[in-house]
Parts: sequence; structure tokens; C-alpha cells
Amino acid sequence: MTAGTLANLGLGQAARVAEITGGGAVALRLLEMGLTPGTRVSLVKRAPLGDPIELSLRGYHISLRLAEAARVEVAPVD
Amino acid sequence: MTEGSIRLALAGNPNVGKTSLFNGMTGARHKVGNYPGVTVETREGQVVKSVAGGRTVIAVDLPGTYSLTPASEDEAVAYRALTESGDRAPTAVIAVVDASNLARNLYFVLQLRELGLPLVVALNMVDVADTAGLRVDAEALATALGVAVVPTAGRTGDGAAALIQAAVAAAQAGTEARFVPPAGARTREILVGLSDQPARARWLLSARAAETADELPLLPEERRAVAALDPGAADAAAADLVTARYAEVDRLTALCSADVPVADRAGPQVAPTMTRSARIDGVLTHRVWGLLAFVGAMALLFQSIFTWAEPAMDLIETAMGWIGDQVVASLGPGLFTDLLTEGVVSGVGNVIIFLPQIALLFLFVGLLEDSGYLARAAFLMDRLMSRVGLHGRAFVPLLSGYACAIPAIMGTRTISSRRDRIVTILMIPFMSCSARLPIYALVIGAVFEADRPVLGPFTQGGLILLGMYLLSTASALAVGALYKRTILRSPTPPLVLELPPYRMPRIRDTLLMVKDRCVDFLKSAGTVILAFTVVLWALLSFPRDETGAGSTGPTAIERSYGGRAGKAVEPVLTPIGQDWRVGIGIIGSFAAREVLVSTLGLAYGMEAGDDDEDGRLRDRLRAEKDPKTGEPLYTPLSGLALMVFFVYACQCMSTVAVVRRETQSWRWPLFMFGSMTGFAYLAALLVFQLGRALGFG
Repeated sequence: MTAGTLANLGLGQAARVAEITGGGAVALRLLEMGLTPGTRVSLVKRAPLGDPIELSLRGYHISLRLAEAARVEVAPVD
Repeated sequence: MTEGSIRLALAGNPNVGKTSLFNGMTGARHKVGNYPGVTVETREGQVVKSVAGGRTVIAVDLPGTYSLTPASEDEAVAYRALTESGDRAPTAVIAVVDASNLARNLYFVLQLRELGLPLVVALNMVDVADTAGLRVDAEALATALGVAVVPTAGRTGDGAAALIQAAVAAAQAGTEARFVPPAGARTREILVGLSDQPARARWLLSARAAETADELPLLPEERRAVAALDPGAADAAAADLVTARYAEVDRLTALCSADVPVADRAGPQVAPTMTRSARIDGVLTHRVWGLLAFVGAMALLFQSIFTWAEPAMDLIETAMGWIGDQVVASLGPGLFTDLLTEGVVSGVGNVIIFLPQIALLFLFVGLLEDSGYLARAAFLMDRLMSRVGLHGRAFVPLLSGYACAIPAIMGTRTISSRRDRIVTILMIPFMSCSARLPIYALVIGAVFEADRPVLGPFTQGGLILLGMYLLSTASALAVGALYKRTILRSPTPPLVLELPPYRMPRIRDTLLMVKDRCVDFLKSAGTVILAFTVVLWALLSFPRDETGAGSTGPTAIERSYGGRAGKAVEPVLTPIGQDWRVGIGIIGSFAAREVLVSTLGLAYGMEAGDDDEDGRLRDRLRAEKDPKTGEPLYTPLSGLALMVFFVYACQCMSTVAVVRRETQSWRWPLFMFGSMTGFAYLAALLVFQLGRALGFG
């Protein structure tokens, strides 16, 4: 079951990547930056203007726009 | 393997200290190279003998990338340099890895291993990792990867000699067993159809999935095979490969460290090396303090190119004037002397006058980039830039355009998508640069009451000036949005931006980068600017005045080819409220916008270098009457039209030269010059004609 997407994580909340939808160049880039299925991701911060967001995964931090984050479906951490 | 032919390629993620390591190895002596048609650079230098153990070793610094998938020019160049054949083929690859960020770095190492080249891993920043409590077992990693792993510290140069030794040994031992990502049956089937070289097939597949195959140099049969792929199947297969590599990354990180957070382990919310950074970010990306700090940083950047560069620029002008005087003094007056002083000396001056601004901008941006702040600036500004369809990284170059388009255009190299870089380059000359200020000042002084209070502390002059800046900013954004949706159509690039831990910037590496930029500008744009200056000088000086006409006759500049051209275009200038003298001024100001003031002065028969030239020219413009009607020639409306013309017109040969350098063709600079001149004319026409119809002027 999914718990929505990375775009609607709460601050400090963690989740596991389930699937990246939509394919194409953006999906490939997200995967290559480490957002592979099963990876644990947490939301660190939102930018002052609400978008983009800062995520922590695999020991580093990346920033995604909400539009990109919405393509990453996540499942709750067990 | 014969000695003397060892060529080591340094590859790695951005922000891992790769360049620092390279500078340390080569003793800061290198040359910059790039492939035709591409601005992404590789740097090449000979490793100092003491580090190389007496051998002749060439090190090549590749652009820092997260992957070899050719999603951007950087990645395409890195792959190309790694797969070169002949003399330029690397004998071994050094994968520079950030020990405190093993997971993502190892993904790239696996891609390098797939290429089958002799490989050595430089485990850099071990000290940083140790401090963060991330101990990496180098031996376990070496065993698991099957390659040598050498701990290094790029800042101090520790480990460099051992690294070179290991790389040379790897090169002499030949290719190690290469890594093959365990892919599913469907993926393997697709790969077999793409190329008979498995690594090449995987690269072609990733290019297809990244939607960049069309722009890459592929063999005809490769192009056909890629085009025949079903997009959905290609995406799934490429995803399969990435997942397979990360499964191997997880296995490796689990083997060589006890405490690196791997994908399936619950780590702390903030990554270990990021705890100090998280505290800094508590302020620097805070919704209030972060924005304030950003405005402060940008104000400082702005101030530095705007005013700190000025003493150096004044000095250059004075020096060029002095050299000109010396030439006159030793050769006496004459045509050849004029060519030397007004053509060559002032041409050289026109080139080096930009160096202070270029150096300051790159020093500032380099330090910000190195410290990790530039990524935060993009994080803060992305929301605004994405409205135009650009990446947050486009903000700083655009802002720099207010000071000077030349360094700003050179600064667009941080934008990885070629189309977006061109959009940004085309936007920058619309930003009102400092060279437009003298024009605004002259016109406002001549036809407006600059000091007349309008509202509170605001005066007419100040508000008109503000209006010009607002017009230029709005136009730049509108033009960017337009190009992004038409001639340079491409989706808004994904942000996917690493926010690296904050680090102390390395002054030495930044200064070397600043030097590279300055040398590059002198070599590639400087020659064009020099040539333009000489041609312009000739246009405004020939034919020579042989009659010795008195002060009542036409001025020398009026009789020149440029002057005649100015007169010839007068019918075109009348509808925008200008006369032939402004025509000459526009031609002369192609050297640089502020030259309009002195060219106009010459057209009015004033001697160059008169005391208070500006003030006298202003009075002269104010007093000038239309010969037919006897009304003042310059009205607030015609002044406004002239200022609007200069908001838009690309009256700057240096901009044209730099755009040619950065886009590697004459196509874009010519398009830019033509379209901006067209915009400028139409806008001035609109202002003047609409103003007249409404009864102004």
C-alpha cells in the first residue's frame, strides 16, 4: 500500500520509496540520485517560498521541486 | 606499457575535492581544453615529478558528475573523455570518492568499473568522515571492489603520491574484472540489440531514457537502434540497471562500514556529516533569516562588481591613456599614430577593462560554490526561476547582469542544460548593466528636471531611472519565458539538486579557477573585441579630413563613413524622435554603450576630453532646436524613446564576442544582436508615436 507521495510528507516525516511514476528523463535522474524502491527518505525542510523541498536519504541531502516529488510514490516505514 | 605515456583521468561526483586533488598533483599548472561546440572543460596537467615518483604522468580533471548517463553536457563530456581512443585514451581512471558520502559516490564508481578501464579509488576527505563518525574500512572496500583504494586528503595533498603509484600499477597490470549490473532478462534482450559492446549498450540505453540521444555523437547504426526502442521499455530497462547498481552499492556499503546509513536502514533524520550544516541551514535557508541573508549576499556580490571593480578599471583607463600619450609623443601625430592609439591601444583597453569585474564575480561565485552556499541560493530562488521555466541556478548569473553582461554570461556555465544556458545568455543583456547608466544620466539631465521632487524623497530623475531598471528586468523575464516556450522549447529542468555539507572554501583552487576564466576571456573574446574596436575606429575616422575645414563646416566624424551611415539612417530615426547625430552615436556606441556620450559630443563638434564634457553636452542637447519648427529638438518624449532604445539595444560588441565564445557559434550572437535591435526600435517607436498621439512632446 502507498502513503501518497514525497510531496505530501510532513516535516521530519520519513517514508520508503515505492515507485517513481511517469518514466522519462526526470524519473531516471531521481533513480540515479538514489531514490530507488525501498530507500528510506525523510523531509528535512521546505524552501521559504514553499517549494522546493529538502530531503535526506542514504546519508546526503537533495532538493526536489514538489512537481518532481509528487512523482515519487512512497510507503510508510515499518 | 611504456613509461612516458601514462594518462590518468580523475573522475568523481561534484563537491568531493577532486579539483583540489588535481591542483595539488599538478602543482597548479595546467591547461584548459574543451571539445568543439561544447563549453564544458577538461583540465590537463603534468603531475609534479616528486608526486609522480619521477615518471611523466599526465592527469586529466573531468567535470564533476553524479553519473555517466548523458543527461547534461558535463556527463556527456566525462563519458567521452573516458572512452577516448588513441593518444588521449586514459591509461587508468582515478575515481575520487567522498568518504563521508559513500553511497552516492559508489554508484558512480560502479559505472566507472563497468567501462572496464584500470581503476583506482581515491578515498578522499577521510578526515571529515572520521570526525562525523563514519569510519570507512578501505581494505574491505578494496577487496569488495577488486581495485586499490587509497585514502587521500585533497586539502593537504596527503596520499597523492601513493595514489599515483597505485594508478600506475593498475595501468601496468591492465584491466581488472569489470562490473556488470545484474539485469533482468528483458533488459538484457534490449541491450544485446543496441551494441555488441555491453558497456556501450548500457550507455546508449541510458541516453535513450534521458532523452538526449539525439544530441550525442552516435554511430549511424547506434542511432537507428536507439530510435527503434520502445520508450516505455527503454525507461523500464534503464530503471532496472540503476536499481541493480544501487543493490550492489548497498551490499558494498554494508561490507565496508558499520555505520553508513544504507537504503534499508533507519538512519537519523539528518545525515551524520550534515549536523553542522543543518545548524547553519537553520539560519541560511530559514524562511525569514534565509531570505535576508540571501539578499545580503547578493547585495555584496553586486556591490563588489559594481563599485569595488571601479578603482582597478579607472587604473586601466588611466594606464591606457598614458600609453596612448606615449605613442603620440614618440611617433608624432598621424594616421598610424591614430590607428595605434584609437584602434589598438583603446581596443586592448576595451578588453582588459572587463578583467576586474570578471575576476571579482568569479572569485565571489567560486567561493560561494565551494562553500556549498550556491546550491542553497538555487534552493531559495528556484520557485521564482521555475516560473520562467529555468533552474534556480540561473538566478545568480541573471542578477550579475545588472553590473555587467560579460562576466554574467560567462557565469552561465553552472547551468547544465544547454538550451537553458542559451535562454539565460539571451536574457542577460536585457538586464540594465552599469554601462547604460551614463546614457540614462545624460538624457535625464538634458530633458527632465532630475531633481524635481515627485513623491516624498523621490525625484523625477530617480523615478525615471527606477522605471528603466524595472522595464529591463520585466523584459528579461518575459523574453526568457517566451524563448523557453518557443525557439528553445524544453521542459523546466528538474531541480534534483544536492545540498552538500558546508565547507570552508579553498582559496587556492578558487583563485586558479578565476585565473582560468580571465585567460579564457582574453584569448577567445579579447581578440574579437580588439578587431571590432579597430574596425569601428576606421569607420568613424575615414575618409580623413584633408581640407582643414574650419569650425563652421561639418565635423570630422560627420564626414566619416560612420557619420554618413548615421545620416543615411536618419529617416529611420525620425519616427523614434532622434536625428542623425544620435545615429552616429548609436554606431559609435557599439564599442560600448557609454561611448554614446563621447560620440555624441564629437558629432556636436566638441573636442574629446573637454572639461565637464557631460555638462556641456547636456546643455547643448537642451538648447538644440529643430531646424524646421524652431521647437526644442530634444523633448522629454524623445529622451524617453532614446532611453528605452538603450534598455533593449544590444549595443555592446563585447557581449556579442562573449556570446560567440560561450555558444561556440556566430548564430546566437547574431540572433541576439538582430532581435534586440529590432525590439529596441519597436519599443522606442511605440513610446514616441504613442506619446505624440496622446499629446506629449
